[in-house]
Amino acid sequence: MTTEIEELYQEVILDHSRRPRNFGDLADAAVRVHGDNPACGDEIHLGVKFDGNGGLEDIKFTGRGCAISQASASLMTMKLKGKSRAEVMEMLRAFHDLVTEETNEAPKTLGDLRVMRGVRKFPQRVKCAMLAWRAVEQALELGAGEATISTEPA
Amino acid sequence: MIVSVTLEKSSFKKAPHRFEAGTPNIAGAIGLAAAIDYIERIGRAAIFEHDSQLAHYAVERFKELPGMHVLGPTEERGALVGFVMDAAHPHDLTTFADQYGLALRGGHHCNQPLMRRFGVSGTSRSSFYFYNTMEEIDRMIEILRAAVRFFS
Repeated sequence: MTTEIEELYQEVILDHSRRPRNFGDLADAAVRVHGDNPACGDEIHLGVKFDGNGGLEDIKFTGRGCAISQASASLMTMKLKGKSRAEVMEMLRAFHDLVTEETNEAPKTLGDLRVMRGVRKFPQRVKCAMLAWRAVEQALELGAGEATISTEPA
Repeated sequence: MIVSVTLEKSSFKKAPHRFEAGTPNIAGAIGLAAAIDYIERIGRAAIFEHDSQLAHYAVERFKELPGMHVLGPTEERGALVGFVMDAAHPHDLTTFADQYGLALRGGHHCNQPLMRRFGVSGTSRSSFYFYNTMEEIDRMIEILRAAVRFFS
C-alpha cells in the first residue's frame, strides 16, 4: 500500500464519504448555493442559515461526487456550524492553504479538517476538496437568495 | 514568403507561397511516414484482432469483481471497456489505480448525454492497444480488487 493513497483517503475521509454528516435539505435556509465542478460532474447543494450577527447558525448540504468532495463538504459543515463570518473566512483561507501548499504547517485551528492535507499531493483533486468551500464563500457573499457557482471559469 | 521589403512597402509571393514562410515541419512529416510504416508492418487487421482479444478477456475477468458493471455491448467492441464500480466513484478509482501504475480514464468523458442515458455521473475506462498483454489485464484485475477492498 503506498503511503500517498493512505494519506489521501484517511479512514475519517472514507467514513465521511460513506456517511456524510449534516446531509439533507435545510428547510429554512437563507441562502442556497449550487456548486458545480463541470470537469468531473461533482455537485453540491448547500443551505445556510445565519444568526443575528451574520454567523453560521446552521448549514446542510446534499450532492453527489467523489469521496473527496463529499467528505470535504461533510467535514466542513461540522466545522463551520456556529462560527462567525470572520472565523469562516479565516478557515477558508487556512483550508485552501492546507490543500495546496507543500511546506507550511497546518494551523491547529483547522482541527479535524487537517485530515484533508493529503490532497496537496494530488493537484487534480484540489477542486474536489474546495467545491464545498467555494459554495460557502458564495453564500456569505450573497447573504440571501440563491446562486450557482462553478469551479471552472465561464 | 516575401518578394521585397522597403521602409515604404512590402510585397509578397503569390499564394500559397506567401503563407509558407519559415521551415516547414519536415521532421513531423518524416516521423508520420515512419509511424505509418510501423503500423503497416504490424498490420491493422492483426492490431484489431489483438485489441479485440484483450477487450473480451477484460470483460470476462471483470465478472469476477464484486459490484462491477461493464457498460456498452458485450460482443461487438473495440479495445475500450468502460465500467462503473459500486465501491468507488470513478475519480477515486482512477486516483487509486494511478498509484499502482494503472492508467484509467475517469469522469464523464465530455459525453454527459451518454452518462445520463446510463444513469451514472461518470465512468472509468480502460483502453488497450497492440503493445498491451493479457498479463497486464490480470494485473489490472488485481489492482481493481485492491481498490474494492480499500474503498468498501
